[in-house]
Amino acid sequence: MSYVKLVVQRYDPERDEKPRFQEYIVPYRKGMTVLDAILYARDYLDHSIGVRFSCRMASCGSCGMKINGKPALACYTQVSELGTERIVVQPMDNFPVIKDLATDFEEFFEKHKELMPYLVREDRAEQENPKSEYLMKPEELERILQFTYCIKCGLCYSVCPTVGTDKLFPGPQAIAQAYRYVEDVRDEGGETRLNILDNPHGIWRCHFAGSCSAVCPKGVDPALGIQLLRRYVMRGKAPRKKGEGSKPFTK
Amino acid sequence: MGDKIMTERKIMMIQYVTGILSVFLVSVHLLYQGVIVPYEKAISFSQVLSLYRHIFYGSMLEILLVVILVHGFNGLRIILLELNQSQDWSKAVDIITVIATVVTIAYGTRTVILAVFGGVS
Repeated sequence: MSYVKLVVQRYDPERDEKPRFQEYIVPYRKGMTVLDAILYARDYLDHSIGVRFSCRMASCGSCGMKINGKPALACYTQVSELGTERIVVQPMDNFPVIKDLATDFEEFFEKHKELMPYLVREDRAEQENPKSEYLMKPEELERILQFTYCIKCGLCYSVCPTVGTDKLFPGPQAIAQAYRYVEDVRDEGGETRLNILDNPHGIWRCHFAGSCSAVCPKGVDPALGIQLLRRYVMRGKAPRKKGEGSKPFTK
Repeated sequence: MGDKIMTERKIMMIQYVTGILSVFLVSVHLLYQGVIVPYEKAISFSQVLSLYRHIFYGSMLEILLVVILVHGFNGLRIILLELNQSQDWSKAVDIITVIATVVTIAYGTRTVILAVFGGVS
């Protein structure tokens, strides 16, 4: 393979009526990622291609897009692994398009924020000025560890069929993060999160398609988090009430 | 959790319980009507009527009617809620599915009562 045919979906909502596809011939080199190919096209062939990226090593979650129909991080997808010279890149579904491959994450982050993705403790003063560490047992960390790997790339959100039909559904990323904090032994905000999720457009609307877990580039299993959190919502009881979180370590 | 009498959590609990009950009761019904009683005889008018008039089987059919209708109409409600997210739509869907459930249960129960008390012969 000496070159790749990069087909980019072009769409500027302010100018275009509908999306169109534009083809670029990009010279191939060993180890080339899809993001490398897009950046070559942008730098040498067409400066107007809209794409968002940052770290180029699957840490920031900025370059999520559909590559040959499947959502993936462009920086984490080798051209050689696609097994074809023709690469079609499109913006992720379920997100409004800003321009070409760049999508608007405002709604996504609003839903994420709504479920309080941080430790909630009754004693705020102590939390702000801790005198010592809040310790966790290894098995307690194990329960939430995979969910802490989430980089908020939005791939899971883009493939969720419920997000596609129900705009009020928080989406797999937000719910899995809610589980991550509800299950954290240092957290005391579980009841509030469960109440937010227990509504006609909340956690119950997940149909367990499992596509969120299939596309996660970090190996997180949001579908599992949703099912485990449902258990708490069904019981109507969070694992800890206010004041029951792990105490600061004392000798 | 929640101030509403019927939170989504309780509704979904009913949905899961009626789902499991439906599988069990339909299995019993199909096992009896088709395996224990041969299919040709099972669908005869007199056989169906005798089942309604049997205290245990008739009660089971009435429970099956309620369980399946509650499960089915709540399932329909869930599908309809996803179509549109406005408050008015949600309220309308809730009201219509509850009325539809009550009306169909009443109509089905009427059939059972008529069969038991001789309105149908």
